[in-house]
Amino acid sequence: MTVYRIQIDQELADLIPGFMENRNSDIIQLTAALQQEDYAKIMVVGHTLKGIGGGYGFPVITDLGAAIEQAAKDQDIDKAYELVAELKAYLQSVEIVYE
Amino acid sequence: MSILVVDDSFDSRLLVRALLKDQGYSDIILAESAAVALEILRSQPTDGHSKVDLILMDLVMPELDGIEACRMFKQDEALQDIPIIMVTASSEVENLERAFAAGAMDFITKPLKRVELLARVRSVLKLKSEMDQRKSREEELRSLTSLDGLTGIANRRCFDEFLEDAWHQALGNHQPLALIMLDIDFFKMYNDAYGHQAGDECLRKVAKTIQSIVNCPFELAARYGGEEFSVILASSDAQYAAQVGEKARIAVVGLNVPHCRSPILPVVTVSVGVASIVPSLQSTAQELIKAADDALYYAKQNGRNQIRIASEVKG
Repeated sequence: MTVYRIQIDQELADLIPGFMENRNSDIIQLTAALQQEDYAKIMVVGHTLKGIGGGYGFPVITDLGAAIEQAAKDQDIDKAYELVAELKAYLQSVEIVYE
Repeated sequence: MSILVVDDSFDSRLLVRALLKDQGYSDIILAESAAVALEILRSQPTDGHSKVDLILMDLVMPELDGIEACRMFKQDEALQDIPIIMVTASSEVENLERAFAAGAMDFITKPLKRVELLARVRSVLKLKSEMDQRKSREEELRSLTSLDGLTGIANRRCFDEFLEDAWHQALGNHQPLALIMLDIDFFKMYNDAYGHQAGDECLRKVAKTIQSIVNCPFELAARYGGEEFSVILASSDAQYAAQVGEKARIAVVGLNVPHCRSPILPVVTVSVGVASIVPSLQSTAQELIKAADDALYYAKQNGRNQIRIASEVKG
């Protein structure tokens, strides 16, 4: 499994554990929304991820969030499943180094 | 000084706060919705110190979105001067246009880049403080300059200066100096009947009318205060002043501004008092004002919509 090593500013260190926790609850929400084909919900979560990922130092989360938002707009459920799986894998494998 | 951060995303709020605090902005208020933000803003004291100086607001939010909220804040007199920076993950040009149309001062796209956020916050805060300074200077200037803000004719300060000059001129030349005082009849009732905006409009019309009958540099029409106006006529005697005063009274009736509460005529009228004096070292301009005021009082007592001349009062 690929391990992503991410460097995060020391000043954000306090926020990161909470941030990661919230992303896990996003995954739970997204999984439920996928099962119900709740595109509105998927879009909202995707939009939020797009907005916050890069700011915390996770550009990948922003990119995946944008893609998830787009997949929901296109009502492309397969693509959405694929992207959420990718996000989940990313979150599980990311390794954070504070600088 | 404080910065209000409005964002429905918990993580966004915390991130913005962390970045701003790191830069020394200590007073950061967080709101999870525009409605909460509005509540916070409304509860702020208006005396200045703990006031919000900047709003960073997310564009896409459930219920009241950033654009709507921005428009709302900009329509609120107490809040419209607080600059708003829109923050959004959607970079569509259309949103940008809507944000600026709603009154946003700047725009930052998410994901937030620390350098960009801080640069924009710094520049908007600088602009805000310059705007505040300019505003207070403008207010100062307005009171110092000579025009009455509402009616556009000379204000009281200008009246005082002009009278003093005219007084000294007349004293030196042994010439008479005349003063007309005019007061709108039953103006309080007018305001009660038609509202203050109509009252302001009435003041403007009467001011314009009085202004139109003086047209030489030795004469000055001024708003003396409230619904009272005055005309200074340098090197004029009471007889000429009475003619000018009467002309003004008739012109105001001729405006035909309806006044349903007036017991004397169904239109707006003025009472007029006139006085003149040949200044001496023993007399003062205050005496002239008092004499004209007394004549005006007499015109009021005698039934209004008429002119009285001070010498008649004195007998």
